[in-house]
Amino acid sequence: MAGNRVTRAAASSPAASSPAALSPLDAYLGELASLLQGPRRRRTRILAELGDGLHQAIGDRVAAGVPRAAAETEAIADFGTPQAVADAFTGELATAYARRTIALYIATGPLVGIWWLLLLQPHPWRAGLVALLVAIPVLPLVAIAILAAATTLATTGRLIRWLPEAGPRRVVAAVLAVAGLVLAADITVIAIYTGSGIPWRPLAMIAVAASLVRIVGSLITVRHAASFVRFRRRRARSGRRTDIG
Amino acid sequence: MLPMRPELLKGHLDALLLAVLAAGPQHGYAVIEALRTGSDGALDLPTGTVYPALHRLERAGLITSDWETVGGRRRRAYRLTPAGLAALGEQRAVWEQFSTAVTTILGGRAWPATA
Repeated sequence: MAGNRVTRAAASSPAASSPAALSPLDAYLGELASLLQGPRRRRTRILAELGDGLHQAIGDRVAAGVPRAAAETEAIADFGTPQAVADAFTGELATAYARRTIALYIATGPLVGIWWLLLLQPHPWRAGLVALLVAIPVLPLVAIAILAAATTLATTGRLIRWLPEAGPRRVVAAVLAVAGLVLAADITVIAIYTGSGIPWRPLAMIAVAASLVRIVGSLITVRHAASFVRFRRRRARSGRRTDIG
Repeated sequence: MLPMRPELLKGHLDALLLAVLAAGPQHGYAVIEALRTGSDGALDLPTGTVYPALHRLERAGLITSDWETVGGRRRRAYRLTPAGLAALGEQRAVWEQFSTAVTTILGGRAWPATA
């Protein structure tokens, strides 16, 4: 935190009194790094890309005869304040986070679901959807979660050329919804099994363990997604001053 | 030059970025600089705030990007995908139609017979 404050102070007055070790460019990128929120790999890419762009911008000016210090100040001014750049990236970062999280749910879902299906499936002679729902009552929750997840992936990826694009707000809401539904399903299914009095089998241990791991994952997801919501609210409250354009 | 409201160009940012990349692969900074110089200063967005538009176009599959090393620096180069080329064609047709209509009305000229 203290480090952030130092870089912030240095970036606000790039030419003056910045610590000798910190160039205005480093201070700028340092402040931007402290303002970006989202998947680490994506943030690293953004910082590398903008860092390269700034080097290029400075190089172009120096080649045109502008003194190095002035070239740095000009290039940084042209790129916009770290706050404006971070604000411009908020939507893309939230969407990247949401897509990654939802893809993780879809990829790991069968690894949890299969054990419960094997454990709770109705007797073979009681076939049909009703019997399945009675045996595993959380299936509607899972179905809604899958639908929300698939819709979110479809409306934020390549299909947005044909489908209406989902904005960052809706996408983060979808992550919260999916995490909430999966959390409810995991807790319910564990409660049903432990309440049923059926003796514990190795299969049950695996199913419960898989769900417990996912419960922890879902709680972390809710925390992260909620921090995106708070981040956006804070931005809205800080006014339009930092908006692009 | 008369002052132009930035939102006029911002609404067409996607098409403009695609058009710049139609000339060939380029890295982000070069794309944005081409836009700024090409628009004669009318697109006056801070450079850093245009990068997210490139990331969004990549997410939509209209452009793709790769890291390449130029003079010891890692640089992200963007190129148009076939879908991006098709989208650019559509956007050009839409713009053509739109600008003809606006020119006709604002300029008080006769409607073209084919429109």
